[in-house]
Amino acid sequence: MSNRQVFDALVLPHLDAAYNLARWLLRSEQAAEDATQEASIRALRHIGSLRGDDARPWLLGIVRNTCFTLLERTRNEAQWLDFDEAEFEAALIQAPPRDADPVLQLQQQRTRTQIDAAIRALSPPLREVILLREFEDLDYAQIAKIAGVPIGTVMSRLARARDKLRAALSSIALGE
Amino acid sequence: MSLDDPNLSSLIKRHATRHAAPDALRAGIHTQVTLAEAGRSETIAPQSSKRHAWFALRWRTAAVSFAMGLACAALVLPLAQRLDLNAPLDAELVADHVRALQVGPLTEVVSTDRHTVKPWFQGRLDYAPPVFDLAAQGFPLMGGRIVHVRGSVVATLAYARNRHVIDVFVWPSTAQSAPLRSLHKGFNVLHWADGSMQYWAVSDLERAEMERFAQAWQQQAAAQ
Repeated sequence: MSNRQVFDALVLPHLDAAYNLARWLLRSEQAAEDATQEASIRALRHIGSLRGDDARPWLLGIVRNTCFTLLERTRNEAQWLDFDEAEFEAALIQAPPRDADPVLQLQQQRTRTQIDAAIRALSPPLREVILLREFEDLDYAQIAKIAGVPIGTVMSRLARARDKLRAALSSIALGE
Repeated sequence: MSLDDPNLSSLIKRHATRHAAPDALRAGIHTQVTLAEAGRSETIAPQSSKRHAWFALRWRTAAVSFAMGLACAALVLPLAQRLDLNAPLDAELVADHVRALQVGPLTEVVSTDRHTVKPWFQGRLDYAPPVFDLAAQGFPLMGGRIVHVRGSVVATLAYARNRHVIDVFVWPSTAQSAPLRSLHKGFNVLHWADGSMQYWAVSDLERAEMERFAQAWQQQAAAQ
């Protein structure tokens, strides 16, 4: 198989996961797209280093490093975002269908907003371990490898992140 | 040691937003990967594959391109001025761009399809200008027209960028030059040549966007 075929077969299926991680680690859609694209090219160039390993954590590791490099690079730049008219209109169009129960929907929407905001509020090192653990179901060893820290650090970061999330989400019944 | 919190986990899994990769991103990666692979196969010129990867990775920072622009300008400007090539032509093209926007026609053939625009030039020109669809890169094609510049007939392509219009004037030239930027009455004029055609892009778009456009164009040209 050529590099391109390996890339198409093993890497491309995880593009959604890659973009999701980038979108959660970075501030804007544009930045997330740029990072995912850059990471994909890097993945293609280093496809040889993927020797029978699971492609998903490998790709997520590349995405993660690309994002943190990007964050480092833009840390001193202005932190505001352009108003994206297209995104705004898309969000308007995505209004929920009429026939569903509006109260329930409103509740779900609120829950989503609260959880998203709580995750966003975590510092990048904490957000990263939560994303890899809860979204991607990676084990501690895989997360440690991606984040470049010992497993003990992963566990303590996870514990701290969860404490913060629980505190932020105390208004939502966690037992439901 | 049970660290996981099943309640919190299920809450996050059920409710937190999962962002799916946009189609435009998939298309972009497909293009970049194809470009990068094409660059690699040109093993005769190792420089070339390096350059493709360089473009593909978007490592171009404002500082680098500015420095390169400066270096190119320093190299080419004295020559261009001696040949009396640069300044007056800028003015002429900007004037034509403004006139097209004021009274029109901006496009004599209106189409976003390059397979409609390119054949339209048949029989109107004694050369075949390249026409690219750069919609995926954010510069949709609007159409084309013909203008007269210094006694020769010149193909002109119009591209949109949000509310801005970019006019690209294309006519044959055997010269080769990297993008050279100038500013005329507030309009950015970007000029480059690839050995078969010369290109003059005129717009009120900001410099970085213009350079992105030129880069997108050159990538398309390289992919042909």
